[in-house]
Amino acid sequence: MNALLRFVKMVTFWELIQGLVITNKYLFKPKVTELYPDKRPVLPYRTKGRLHVEIETCISCRMCERACPEGCIKVFPPPKEVFKTDKRPQEFIISQEHCLHCGMCVDACPTGSIHHSMEYELVVYNFNELLFDKERLPFDLDQTRYRWNWLENVPVK
Amino acid sequence: MSWEFITTHPLMIMLGWPLIKIVILLVPVMTIVAYIVWFERRLLGFFQSRLGPNRVGPLGLLQPVADGLKLLLKEDLVPSNARPFLFRIAPIFAFFPALTGFAIVTWALPWIKPSGKAHGFVVADVDLGILLVLALSSLAIFGIILGGWASGSKYPLFGSLRSASQMLAYEVPLTFSILAVILMAGSFKLSDIVSAQQNMTLLGWKGFYFLVPGLVAFGVYLVAAVAETNRTPFDLPEGESEIIGFHAEYSGMRFAWYFVAEYTNVVLISVLGTCLFLGGYDIPFVNDAALYLTHPWLVSILGVASFAAKGALFAFFFVWIRATWPRYRYDQLLKIGWLVLLPISLANLLLVALVKLAFLR
Repeated sequence: MNALLRFVKMVTFWELIQGLVITNKYLFKPKVTELYPDKRPVLPYRTKGRLHVEIETCISCRMCERACPEGCIKVFPPPKEVFKTDKRPQEFIISQEHCLHCGMCVDACPTGSIHHSMEYELVVYNFNELLFDKERLPFDLDQTRYRWNWLENVPVK
Repeated sequence: MSWEFITTHPLMIMLGWPLIKIVILLVPVMTIVAYIVWFERRLLGFFQSRLGPNRVGPLGLLQPVADGLKLLLKEDLVPSNARPFLFRIAPIFAFFPALTGFAIVTWALPWIKPSGKAHGFVVADVDLGILLVLALSSLAIFGIILGGWASGSKYPLFGSLRSASQMLAYEVPLTFSILAVILMAGSFKLSDIVSAQQNMTLLGWKGFYFLVPGLVAFGVYLVAAVAETNRTPFDLPEGESEIIGFHAEYSGMRFAWYFVAEYTNVVLISVLGTCLFLGGYDIPFVNDAALYLTHPWLVSILGVASFAAKGALFAFFFVWIRATWPRYRYDQLLKIGWLVLLPISLANLLLVALVKLAFLR
């Protein structure tokens, strides 16, 4: 009986037909391709996008500059007389071209004024466009709120 | 030029009309060849949970145009070790036999003029048409072998060696499977084969085509046809994923000739299979001859549509097996050809002869 079954399977190319059936199933399954420019993906809360800096709360301690493994952050503190009263940096430059999006600077910051944003489209025609200075490192409260939402959604055991 | 000259002058009958027919045939055939590439890439994407090329134009329909432009603009390199003349001429040897095969295909029901003279929708209704196609398909292999050898490089040479061994494997079973059809139809002429299927009665039933009595021959034809078009699972000469193929040294438009030749072969094999086994332009479940008396235009249009649908089934099958089955080694292909397909097709020939004697009318 077993030999007969094997013979029938051999004559009807059973294995080959099984393969055809399996691929035919995939023909009608939903596709996994992301239609990126047409449909934007909804990013998870902890996406590590471009770095945002809140200049108003920054105290020019340069911890992020030291923490950065790539050395892509440069902080220019104000002169000593000004620093006593106003600790905001004169200039804050991040070279996003070299940034690894590793998050070391975010961990190092004592005031929480540097953090990742949801911006991920960093394709430019000129490298200089990836050099972000004080004016181009905005602090977006809405994005921060969205990002901190994950705390409320953490499952509690 | 008067109408009298166009229709009756021997020069026009010998050269003019065939040329006009060739142009009328070539434009749709080359369009279909271009779009079968798109069809395959989209469908292959669907089989692999992808979407395939959909960026150029609506649904990616301009993709063949973009591909062609890209290949046209590429540099045409000839390796210093190559034999320049043979290297340059080889792709044409691969391409033109596949294209010539379309000349004998009957595309629609013959148009019957008021005078009672029938005009077939065919460029050249050769008496030994099937043999012509088989001979030309052997020539196409010659182009592949020549291209691999003239490249002056070892990998293309091995590709063409595999191609030669593949030809030994599939040519004979392919011929024997077609011989079964010729036996049933009683003619080598393709238009006769199609009309024989329309008029054939099996046990008093019409509309079976040669698919039912020649089911085994159809299977053998499918396997041999895949080998003939150099496609997965028998893409030994090319082997684009792992083993390097015969066109490794080709670039630009010369590579495109090989590429187009492969897909022209796919279309030709689909069209021939439709004519031989699936009844060609015959509309299924309809008595064509009776309908033709009342609605001649409808029968012509529906006939071409059913021809296209049957051919598309073939093309779908080709893509389907490409998405599914892995490649055979070339010794395995020789084994399949000589130890499996040849005995099966020979035995089937005997069976078909008996069936024809007993049941076919």
